[in-house]
Amino acid sequence: MSDRIEKLKQKANYIRNQVLDMCAKAGTGHVNSSFSCVEIIVALYYGGILRFDPRNPKWRDRDRFVLSKGQSSPLLYAILADLGFFPEDELNRFNQADGIFAVHLQHDVPGVEITSGSLGHGFGIAAGMALAAKMNRDLPMVFTLLGDGECYEGSIWETAMFASHNRLNNLIAIVDRNHLCATDFTENIVALEPMDEKWQACGWRAININGHSFEEILAALEGFRSRKSTQPLVIIADTRKGKGVEFLSDAPLWHSLAPKGQEAIEAKEELNEKEND
Amino acid sequence: MTNDLKNISMRDVFWNKVYELARKDSNIVVVSADMGAPALDKFRKDLGSQFVNVGIAEQNAVLLSAGLALERKKVFVYAIAPFITLRCYEQTRVNLAGMNLAVTLVGVGAGFGYDDSGPTHHALEDLSIMRILPNLTVNNITDSQMAAAFADISYRMKSPNYVRLAREALPNVYQEGDDFSKGLTVLKEGKDICIVATGNMVHRALEVAEDLKKYNVTAKVIDLYTFPINEKMFLEAIEDAQKIVTIEEHTLPGGMGGAVAEVLADNQKFIPLKRIGLDLRKGYCYKYGGRESIRSLLGLDKDSIVKAILDLKQ
Repeated sequence: MSDRIEKLKQKANYIRNQVLDMCAKAGTGHVNSSFSCVEIIVALYYGGILRFDPRNPKWRDRDRFVLSKGQSSPLLYAILADLGFFPEDELNRFNQADGIFAVHLQHDVPGVEITSGSLGHGFGIAAGMALAAKMNRDLPMVFTLLGDGECYEGSIWETAMFASHNRLNNLIAIVDRNHLCATDFTENIVALEPMDEKWQACGWRAININGHSFEEILAALEGFRSRKSTQPLVIIADTRKGKGVEFLSDAPLWHSLAPKGQEAIEAKEELNEKEND
Repeated sequence: MTNDLKNISMRDVFWNKVYELARKDSNIVVVSADMGAPALDKFRKDLGSQFVNVGIAEQNAVLLSAGLALERKKVFVYAIAPFITLRCYEQTRVNLAGMNLAVTLVGVGAGFGYDDSGPTHHALEDLSIMRILPNLTVNNITDSQMAAAFADISYRMKSPNYVRLAREALPNVYQEGDDFSKGLTVLKEGKDICIVATGNMVHRALEVAEDLKKYNVTAKVIDLYTFPINEKMFLEAIEDAQKIVTIEEHTLPGGMGGAVAEVLADNQKFIPLKRIGLDLRKGYCYKYGGRESIRSLLGLDKDSIVKAILDLKQ
């Protein structure tokens, strides 16, 4: 394994620990929904994909990262704190009266582009940003991370058709395909498969990858800044909700809960054992 | 004030003004949800790169506009009034209002404007739901002069805004250069009754005031167009009112009359108030036969309003 991948894996484990700590302390936060996309967001921020400047969060030429699945905000907050967008101590004030953020995503937090919590919104906003970049002949890329359950929202498909029709090849959507909603597996609720064909039918180039493999995430994004195709790109990242802690994984009842007390201790132990493996 | 009866659609006046502004400012973008207007045809032809048609997809229209506004575009979004308010209400609430983005939603067909299209196209709840959003201003337009002014005002606004246009051409009540910054205008003085009207019903209020003269009743007429209400200006305008009647082509719950009642209550102004509008106990209107026919059924015709006011006087 290359050093680069090893470092990313260590970072992913560190971030999982941070998310667990902040949510356990606050007694709230979507740990499961965060754990499924740790490798994806870590790859974007630490894998040399996104351009950003923590000292200048509104830097005009930054790439935009729009977290459409706002319930994964603890993960983004932990990463932004680690990168120095705001003091790491803020994580201890998660959902506290003197804190600046809570369970869902808030646009006024340094490094955050939008408010998100209601699903099906961020994707369309990201498309608007990509459209503005095209109009201005600006170079930034716009990334957006969607939940698979979020793809039940009709607005997702309004935007999907629009983006391909308008050749927004500066827009890259990643679907965190963790197969679970709040109450059940997607294929039991209303089948989302074949997911890639749905995106292709809307005019997108679709790639299926293992969303926990840094190698596959980075390979899917190879040369993303100079794509010749006019099609927007969607990466359907197959993931596991709660990845990293067995009792949290694939467990619908944990959707909006944070482990507390002994459960949090056990979850931490499991994460740390994995790091030592 | 003049009552020049030139019939110019406020929609075309509004979009002509936006066109003029957009020629000078390439940052202006018009997002249409499959809605056109002769003035927009010119916009699309001459300024195609600043015009986006999303199709019949109001949710996406508002989301795109939020993304464009976050990138400092000045966005106007256009659709039929009930669709640009109700269909994408949550997109507006979370993004435009919640993040305080400078986007102007332009809805055409206030009240029973699409009289022939039936209740799906009637805009009867939009004022209620839009006026309660944080940061967002509602401007209910009375005539073409006001429409032109509000194209310019919208362009300069730094927060979200809903401009509610009539579908039909209405006579001009205002003149070029009139000041709309107070959010209301006293159009007529009178001491016996104070009529507060909004949008298309301002024209009805003026007719009613004229008719009331026959009964030796003089009516003050206030055009209330900006919401939230400018309380200071409103309280000044109604200071000497004995009784207030509100007239709107909109549902009574939460409408303009409701907004007036809130201001009166909050300021301990215990002035008798009669609200005239769409009484929901009668339900939606599935009747046809034209605008005035519908209004007569619902008590919004001139004679019914005059009678309601005279009854109130006794």
